[in-house]
Amino acid sequence: MSFDDKKHIRGQVLALKSFKKSRQLNCFADCSTTVSLAFRRCGANMTLAKQTLELWRGTMKEVGGKFGTGVLSYFKFLKWLLMFNIFSFLVNFGFITIPQLIYHPTPDIPAGVSFKGLEILTGAGYFSHTVMYYGGYSNKTQGTGGRSEYNMQLAYFFTVAAYMVLCGAALIYSMASSFRKKYVLADSGLGGAWQLLCSWDFSVTNEKAVRQRKNNLRIQLKESLSEKIQVALLPLTERLKHYGVFLGTWLLSTGMALGCGASVYFLSSGSLLEEAATLLLPFVVSLINLVVPLFYSLFKKIEHYSNPRMQVYAIIVRNVILKMSILGILCYYWMKDVANTFSCWESIVGQALYRLVIMDFLFIMLGSFFGEFLSNVIGTKCIQSLGVPEFDVARNVLDLIYAQTLAWIGIYFSPLLPVIQIIKFFILFYLKKVSLTLNCQPPRRAGRAAQMQTIFIAILFFPSFVGALSMVAYTVWILPPSDKCGPFRGLNTTFSAIQIWMDDLNRVDAFQWTVWIYQHVIRSEIFYFLISLIILVFIYIFRQITQGRQLLIILLRQQIVNVSSGELSGPTCLVHQSCCVRSGCVYVMMLLKCRSNIFS
Amino acid sequence: MGTTASQLRKDLLSEYQVVMHVFFRAHKRFSELLSKEDRNVPTPRVPMEKVLSLPELKSNPFRKRICHVFSTSDMKDGSLTFEDFLDLLSAFSDSATLEIKSHYAFRIFDFDDDGTLDGGDLEKLVNCLTGETDDTRLTTEEMRQLISNILEESDIDKDGTVNLSEFQHVISRSPDFVRSVQI
Repeated sequence: MSFDDKKHIRGQVLALKSFKKSRQLNCFADCSTTVSLAFRRCGANMTLAKQTLELWRGTMKEVGGKFGTGVLSYFKFLKWLLMFNIFSFLVNFGFITIPQLIYHPTPDIPAGVSFKGLEILTGAGYFSHTVMYYGGYSNKTQGTGGRSEYNMQLAYFFTVAAYMVLCGAALIYSMASSFRKKYVLADSGLGGAWQLLCSWDFSVTNEKAVRQRKNNLRIQLKESLSEKIQVALLPLTERLKHYGVFLGTWLLSTGMALGCGASVYFLSSGSLLEEAATLLLPFVVSLINLVVPLFYSLFKKIEHYSNPRMQVYAIIVRNVILKMSILGILCYYWMKDVANTFSCWESIVGQALYRLVIMDFLFIMLGSFFGEFLSNVIGTKCIQSLGVPEFDVARNVLDLIYAQTLAWIGIYFSPLLPVIQIIKFFILFYLKKVSLTLNCQPPRRAGRAAQMQTIFIAILFFPSFVGALSMVAYTVWILPPSDKCGPFRGLNTTFSAIQIWMDDLNRVDAFQWTVWIYQHVIRSEIFYFLISLIILVFIYIFRQITQGRQLLIILLRQQIVNVSSGELSGPTCLVHQSCCVRSGCVYVMMLLKCRSNIFS
Repeated sequence: MGTTASQLRKDLLSEYQVVMHVFFRAHKRFSELLSKEDRNVPTPRVPMEKVLSLPELKSNPFRKRICHVFSTSDMKDGSLTFEDFLDLLSAFSDSATLEIKSHYAFRIFDFDDDGTLDGGDLEKLVNCLTGETDDTRLTTEEMRQLISNILEESDIDKDGTVNLSEFQHVISRSPDFVRSVQI
């Protein structure tokens, strides 16, 4: 559009605007303009304040600019998990710890136990009698006489339940929106030449960086071309051999995971209760988590996946199986053996989790040292062919997910565990940033950052959060709480506290509706059965709608080709996989454009 | 007449007040590029060489195409007025929408300015992004394979070229596009 055209249109728009405005009363117009101006200024100031207060914004922009969106996604994930922990800390501290501290300001520590330095590592000893763990909370309804009452049992239960529900809702929401935006709409085929071409970053201004990116792009284009050729050309015996190798490596990796789990089980059932020796189990667990993934990465040399993305997925799945099987075995041991053996077993489990969290932190720091610093030194000074290392996003994100799983399991047993987690994540952010800047180079391949992020959130939801939630739910629903300590002592199960409360409410007329909801909705099986049935019916209906739309898209594509080539009969055989309504609308638009082009 | 004129000015003022500082900063950078004689001309034009000396555009492989696309000069020499310069900055800012960015990206990639991306345009695009010298280019066989892959992916009406709607359709499936087209 030429300059005069633009000026003409702008003049017309302004004239229309001023005509509309000049029709109103003068003073009203003045008032409303001033008010709206004030609001806009206020809004702009608030956005500016929010941006300056936002945590780590400058650092993350710097990292993103130098290392790209793949590495930036690790730091964004870390910040997001930190928010979960901050919220958990606020909720637990506010509703559980503060009332306990108000009514019992000094913890009743038995004689002979004093604070030695070792508690920071083991979490036992002095800490085990404080509000750090489940055992430090009383079961009485606080408050006497004139002051308002505070039912500690209900507070504990509802705080943990509300936090878990909100976490679950936040995870499901972000998983679904991430899935919709980045997975379904993105190209899921092999290669994706357009993706590579359009991923050129216009904000790169350094001459050397531009040359490096051109090199990387050329290498990736060549790789994607050779991938497409390779898939078609393998003979049958080669393919059988490849499948045999895959089967072997998967059996080996799963076997190693189960073997590690079994060894952890035997170690934990034989472990001693003296303070220093309790550190042995977390040490072994963290050592396994550090060393066995290195074995898994050796498998890369034997297997030949056709697609480098499948390789990354295989590594991720193996690591997740390893970590979750170890955690599963530990949870089983705690639920079965510890719950029956010790008197204040929830605090013991809390202490074990505390030790795992601390040891995991120490090992992450060690891993950063070996993985990045030493690799850099070896790569630049000793074996020049290895080169400067790249930041391994997958391995680091899986470490974060494991750490967060520990925190989620620990919410019930140790309400103040989020404090440790917050400190850990804070230190980890700065540590990783420094290590990244000093030791690593920007990644060579333009990774699918958006799709990987969806997968990480999905892993955070499915084995990690759901596993933690089911363990806490099992503890609350079925296991008898210990009778010497904690807010639920003396009850059959933790959930009985709710039953007792409902019985109390039943005596008051005003709350009959709550009791009715409890008895006929929450405790009745028919309700859940009906809800599940209705949800299944809706899922079936939506699936039929989606399939109908897929068919519509295929038909529209065929019609576009027919209309543009002038033929009106005979379908051409095209099948393209794309299943969202937006594609359908685009096809309708293109079809109309084709039609208008031909008939104009 | 007097009251309506003053009201008009006040409305314009309230609109412009919000973006005043951005406006002045852009104007300052533009006038730095002008030579002394041109400053007093009513609508000054900056020649293409001066625009290419900006640090944001200096190493960009598409710098010449960007100048040609945003230039409104009749001589097609890539020179920019202040109006064109503002268009350039706004198209590459982070508040421009996907439609605007994909529209301009299409025009930048359309090397022969015929409104579609055919094989020649795609070949020039790939060469721009991989390197100009002979040892850094793709071989002819690889280029042919790559172009046929691209057309297979994005040419929906099978006419051998990628038009604007097909391009926008492909771009809408790439979630990182908006962030990467920024200066």
